Amino acid sequence: MTDKTLNAPIIQARHVDKTYPNGCHALKKVSLDVKRGEVVVIIGPSGSGKSTFLRTLNQLETISTGAIDIDGIELTDSSTNINKVREEVGMVFQSFNLFPHKTALGNVMLSPMKVKKETRAEAEVHARELLTRVGLAERMQNYPSRLSGGQQQRVAIARALAMKPKIMLFDEPTSALDPEMVGEVLDVMKGLAQEGMTMVVVTHEMGFAKEVADRVVFMEEGELILEESPDTFFESNHPRLNRFLGQVL
Amino acid sequence: METQSSRWLGHGLYLLIMAILISGVYFSGQRINYTWHWERLWPYIVNTDPQDIFAETDGTVVIDEKGTLSIEPDYGGDPQIVREYTTLVAYDGDLIFQGDTLARLEGWRFGPIAEGLWVTIKLSFISLIFSIILGLIFGLMRISHRQVMRNLAVTYVEVIRGTPLLVQIFIVYFFIGTVFDLDRFTAGVAALSIFTGAYVAEIVRAGIQSVPTGQMEAARSLGMNYVQAMCYVIMPQAIKRTLPPLAGQFINLIKDSSLVSVISITDLTKAGREVVSGSFAPFEVWFTVAALYLIVTGALSWAIQILEKRLSASD
Ligand SMILES: Nc1ncnc2c1ncn2[C@@H]1O[C@H](COP(=O)(O)OP(=O)(O)OP(=O)(O)O)[C@@H](O)[C@H]1O
Ligand SMILES: [Mg+2]
Repeated sequence: MTDKTLNAPIIQARHVDKTYPNGCHALKKVSLDVKRGEVVVIIGPSGSGKSTFLRTLNQLETISTGAIDIDGIELTDSSTNINKVREEVGMVFQSFNLFPHKTALGNVMLSPMKVKKETRAEAEVHARELLTRVGLAERMQNYPSRLSGGQQQRVAIARALAMKPKIMLFDEPTSALDPEMVGEVLDVMKGLAQEGMTMVVVTHEMGFAKEVADRVVFMEEGELILEESPDTFFESNHPRLNRFLGQVL
Repeated sequence: METQSSRWLGHGLYLLIMAILISGVYFSGQRINYTWHWERLWPYIVNTDPQDIFAETDGTVVIDEKGTLSIEPDYGGDPQIVREYTTLVAYDGDLIFQGDTLARLEGWRFGPIAEGLWVTIKLSFISLIFSIILGLIFGLMRISHRQVMRNLAVTYVEVIRGTPLLVQIFIVYFFIGTVFDLDRFTAGVAALSIFTGAYVAEIVRAGIQSVPTGQMEAARSLGMNYVQAMCYVIMPQAIKRTLPPLAGQFINLIKDSSLVSVISITDLTKAGREVVSGSFAPFEVWFTVAALYLIVTGALSWAIQILEKRLSASD
């Protein structure tokens, strides 16, 4: 690998446009580069297209026009094996989406065993390690129905990490949580950021954005309006951003 | 709130009502001067009468030192050989005519009702397996991304659900059965599987669609392909949700299997009809047949309940 490819952004979204089949124009020419190890936080009002954009990055949502390059692989190429790309791109959902028929351990082990063809023993060692890292050493045999929201979300993070991804996408990971559980999930995410994981995070947690983000992006009505480092972002006097921040804070 | 004592009162009341109903049946029998002969039923379930073994041709009896009886036919051909018997009626060297009794075999055999029950169980079980296969295929086609698959599945389901099973049995037997040269039993299995498969397909579709879309998204975002996500994430959850309606459908299958007697398959119902005319005990026969169906359906719903309990470990 040359220096050039090393420094090239790991995510390159170019003029991404998305219109849903029902005619809803959710993304309008959104371009964004994310460098290796960078943490980018996306904020914006409800319905502004944050989730849609995030989900185009692992092709849970197809795009109408534009191009997305993940670690040198063009997603819109017909020759691209999207399942391979998704192994590299972990995703954490607002509603956790744990597999209810599997224990915490089973949730984390499933994909490495079925997709990466790891043996049960290999997968289990790794899964135990990850669950311990997110603070759930005592809860490995619990089914999701026996875990609190915060615990479920931490299992979901461990499950995504089990595929050893290069990028992690978070779609409002703390929005469905009771306030007292938000901290435990954000702490895990901060830990990941410190270890140099490339992260794109949609969140309403401005504290997290200020503390952890390398860049903050503001979206509104399908457009990317503002893209700044946190210091300048929250000082900028952009009228639409101010209106939004006025509502959130 | 139900208290302990009111529950016992309820049980007592229930027993009383059941006793009244049963004696009602008994006394209505008396009113029409019906004499109950339950003992006449036994030979039709387990037959303990000695069985006569008859000569198939005219010939001479030969009994060798091992006791094997054989008949040398008068007009050539293969000898008839009888190895299993309890008492001999014919002697070595006897001249025998076709239809004469040679020997007697004691022991027990299943009677027509037991054999009919076995046919019903076999028919239902094989049809159940095939209906699950058909239901899975068409249920998955029903939610496929391809229009042609969805259209095919909808057509199958609507045609089958919109026509009576009895008519389908006739069509399968007389049309498809003749074209492909199917025997009665195969035709019966085919008709029952195709019929039940349509309902299973709808249950499977509803079960899969009842799994939140987030499950598929989570599985796919972890790098699983569609088939892996279906097998390891969606189906295990869908099956759990579909067990209660499936149980109902399979119980219907067992009961519907009685309709195949119209194409002369001797299942439990047909056996019942035949036994009624031989035994002159219609009430006993039909009550027994009903009880046997109840045992089979009861066993099935019990088995499914056990399965449900085992799958509910994650609740
Ligand atoms: N599956 C869909 N089909 C049609 N329209 C959709 C679909 N999903 C989202 N949309 C529309 O696309 C627009 C962007 O939605 P999106 O979910 O990306 O917003 P968001 O910024 O994530 O909002 P929130 O903060 O509420 O999660 C909205 O107008 C929404 O109604
Ligand atoms: Mg959203």
